[in-house]
Amino acid sequence: MKYLYVLFALFCVLVMAFSIRGIQGNPTPQDLNRSVWKDDGPLELSPERGRYALLYALAETNTFYFSPELAKFAAPDVGYTDGKYVSLFAPTVSFIVVPGYLFGKFFNMAQVGSYAVIAIFALFNVALIRAIAIRLGIHPIAAIIGGLTFLFASPAFAYAVTLYQHHISTFIILSGVYLLIRYNTLWSLTAIWLLCALSISVDYPNFLMMLPIGILALGRTFIGEKKENKLSLSIPLLRVFAIFTMALPLAFFLWFNNASNGSPLRLSGMIERAIEVRANGTPLLEGEILEARRKALKQPPIVIEKSFVSAFQSRLLLNGFYTHFISPDRGMLMYTPVMLFGIAGLVLAIKRRMKYVGLLVAVIGFNVLLYSMWDDPYGGWAFGSRYLIPTYAILSLFVAYFLTRFSKYNMMLLLFFAVLSYSISVNTLGAITSNRNPPKIEAAALAEVSKREEPYTYMRNVNLLNNNISKSYIFETYAANNISAWHYYTYLTAFIIIVSACLLMLFKRVTKGVSHAV
Amino acid sequence: MRFDLKTLTVHLNFNTKIFSRIHSVLEKRSALIIFFLLTMISITTFLFYYANGLGVAYNDARSHLDISRRVVENLTPGFAQLGSVWLPLPHLLSTLTIWNDFMWHSGLAGAIQSMVAYIATGMLIYTFLKILGVGLFGRWIGVAVFALNLNILYMQSTAMTELLLIGTMTAGVYELLMWHKEESMNRLIKAGFWVLLSTLIRYDGWFLLVFACGLISIHTYRKYGYKTTEGVLVLFTTLAGFGIFLWFFWNLMIFKDPFYFAFGPYSANAQQQLLESAGVLDTKKNLPFSIQTYIYAVVYNAGFLTALMGGIGMVLFWLDKHIKSDLRIAATALMAPFFFNIIALFLGHSVLFVQGLHGNSWFNVRYGLMMVPTLAIFVGYLVHRLKSLRYVLVGLLLLVSIFSFLNKDAVTIDDAVIGASGKNVSEVSKWLHDNAKEKDGFILISAASHDAIIFSSGLQMKRYIHEGTGTYWDLATAHPGKWARWIVLRTGDGSDQTYRALQYNPEFKKQYTRVRKLPFADVYELKPEYVKNLHTKPTIGL
Repeated sequence: MKYLYVLFALFCVLVMAFSIRGIQGNPTPQDLNRSVWKDDGPLELSPERGRYALLYALAETNTFYFSPELAKFAAPDVGYTDGKYVSLFAPTVSFIVVPGYLFGKFFNMAQVGSYAVIAIFALFNVALIRAIAIRLGIHPIAAIIGGLTFLFASPAFAYAVTLYQHHISTFIILSGVYLLIRYNTLWSLTAIWLLCALSISVDYPNFLMMLPIGILALGRTFIGEKKENKLSLSIPLLRVFAIFTMALPLAFFLWFNNASNGSPLRLSGMIERAIEVRANGTPLLEGEILEARRKALKQPPIVIEKSFVSAFQSRLLLNGFYTHFISPDRGMLMYTPVMLFGIAGLVLAIKRRMKYVGLLVAVIGFNVLLYSMWDDPYGGWAFGSRYLIPTYAILSLFVAYFLTRFSKYNMMLLLFFAVLSYSISVNTLGAITSNRNPPKIEAAALAEVSKREEPYTYMRNVNLLNNNISKSYIFETYAANNISAWHYYTYLTAFIIIVSACLLMLFKRVTKGVSHAV
Repeated sequence: MRFDLKTLTVHLNFNTKIFSRIHSVLEKRSALIIFFLLTMISITTFLFYYANGLGVAYNDARSHLDISRRVVENLTPGFAQLGSVWLPLPHLLSTLTIWNDFMWHSGLAGAIQSMVAYIATGMLIYTFLKILGVGLFGRWIGVAVFALNLNILYMQSTAMTELLLIGTMTAGVYELLMWHKEESMNRLIKAGFWVLLSTLIRYDGWFLLVFACGLISIHTYRKYGYKTTEGVLVLFTTLAGFGIFLWFFWNLMIFKDPFYFAFGPYSANAQQQLLESAGVLDTKKNLPFSIQTYIYAVVYNAGFLTALMGGIGMVLFWLDKHIKSDLRIAATALMAPFFFNIIALFLGHSVLFVQGLHGNSWFNVRYGLMMVPTLAIFVGYLVHRLKSLRYVLVGLLLLVSIFSFLNKDAVTIDDAVIGASGKNVSEVSKWLHDNAKEKDGFILISAASHDAIIFSSGLQMKRYIHEGTGTYWDLATAHPGKWARWIVLRTGDGSDQTYRALQYNPEFKKQYTRVRKLPFADVYELKPEYVKNLHTKPTIGL
């Protein structure tokens, strides 16, 4: 079994290496503004560019502020405050990837080095899924398949090879879950509090997604025991004081906000957006555009207040659910139907009252509800439903649970393999090409302007392959002259599917005649 | 309490008897506590919406209040003013307090019955869940889901009929459930009484009557055969159907046609025909779209998560073999509003616009509110059933509710304020208030079209000549210069009765000048030289 883990880890590293997006070189802000790095390259969307711009400012100029050239690169997702250009994103992702940037820079591949850090977090997530699954009594090989399902058969794959926050957020959530399941010590609680606080500076809504973990940790702070007619409650003060370790990451966060945004409590998203940077380096602010439009339409002045609360509207839940689960442009059904086995596993786990199922349902529930209430459930231009990556991680646990329970049923395993293969094929497509898929609503508007069909599903990625485009670093640097993008995709997908098939066969063989108690 | 210095731990000891005592007190006194809490919530919410002016935002709320007011204060007061547009019970109840100007203009005369119904429904949900064997926690959650729903809270603060209907229907279904359980005649009579009341509030109650008859027939026939079924059904229908009989009789006596309410000029049918000719009655003869429209309305009123959890709870409930099949069958009555609304939409007897499905407009979306108690009951059941997840489910409900409250997300308010159910008539009513209040003379207006203006003007009802004032209306539309100092109408709109009556009247054209042209109505004033011929006091029938 030990060798199997090592082989599986090597397999994952290999696939990630073949998929990671990038171009050789250490780009300067001038280089970054070229389309080969932006739209046609690895920094194709503004969330990547905004975070990369802050990373560049941190690593190269030791500041939080962007030069006009760097701001131009990050626009339209760049803030402008007190005469300075600043990031509009929560800062920690950029801080975390600094070592990768510096290491990559040494080998003339700064951008690839930065992206590799996210890939490493994605690999950690696979390891955590396996570890949590085993702690929940799931068969170890099913646990591995669960990890594989998460990384290669869900949109998590497309976001493991670029610079987004999702894998770091998922890592924090899974670490919290693992610590709760595995330990009950002062140190484990301290680590959970640190993670809770750190998660906010990775992505603000993480505060709410970590809430179930925090509440359970709070429950662990007090030790209750019932004896006959007496309830004794012990409150170890060190456990209570452990909560205050949250102050450390929070202090970092407040310090960053103060230095970058001018006030400790002023979040990056609250700063005025600069849509463009003019040739003379001055900003064209979003407010100016709206004001000009208002004056042209002779409308009364309006005050738009940006607040965290107003970004989550309960009325949007119906549309949000449709978007995340059913819609052709982002839905789970279209991009990762293998997660349906996870939902089936979840129902089974609830029915059998699996330990910690409440915690896992709470994490999924908070994630799904929050991002269904979000005013942009599509995640802008994206591949699949990127906001549900933490949910995919937890559902992968239940995929493993489902497999463990149904290991005897060949037809079920065959069906699983078929759906898994489809999901792998779709998500590998996204990983090695692009995440630039508009939501249906925008695609329709674009089509009206461009007078041509604008695909909004993964067919857009198929079109890229048809045009021999893949953004994989290895393909671009070493393979493009020898094989087509289609061949590259086919080989990589086949490799993942074959390994999945081997794992399933091994699972079937190992579990034959043996029932694994879950 | 003791402190262990070695481990830095505080040790507290509690006697668990206190918890079981609290539990038993809650078991015994929950109904009382719920009554107290819901009363407080109800009053606070009414005051909140009264203070911000939203309490009478619905046009229909203002019309309901005006109808009741006309019974007691009008040029021709009396019960005939109850009319035929709406069923009479809410207006009859309002007449008890509507004579008071504050009760009329604050909307409290109409809201008070909604508030009582709100409290009663909350308590009924608690009792309903208790009968189904749901534990204390689930019962409280069921009540909370209903009582803290923002749309319910808003509607219980207004003079609309939804809460009263919800209250009487829930009471009827509860008694029906109890009859299925106990088979006592007392329960059947009580069920009949509540169904009778609901049939006098809205036509949803008529459907409940049919549904209840079906359930009673099935239950009795299965157990006792045809003869007993016939007897039980006659007993039930005699009481429960008496309100419908009275309504037909009323229409025959007052309007000389028992079906006047259904096919008269102000009936829903007449309104729907107008909408159909305008091509906006999309749900008619389109069952999938009717179902989709009503489900959307339910989701927007109850909240998506509540609807989802309620739906799951419902499936688990009907599959639960621990609950007697009789009770499960009886509980299908909770679905009566669902079936009724879909059938009404499909047949074109009802109209409902949901933003996104029917352009960018809301209209009558509040019909979805009828399913909130049903969903609350099933959510309570779900929380009880999924014990291992109960705190998680409550946490998720809390998460959504917090954002819902912080963002003041109530679709019923949007329907009233920016949807087709609400019109901003403040300019016309303010003009009347500023220019007519201190002067003598009547105002000629169509109540059917402009009740909201009458209400918002703050003038006494007897200052208005409208369709319900009989001879005054006939005289004023024939010789407006003798009776009306001001005329409010929508120029060029044939659906406005006043315009229809005056459009070819030479006296109107000669003697009046248009003093204001406003979005919802124009105001005409009698030229000063004709004022001397004007009647300014009620003289007919004195």
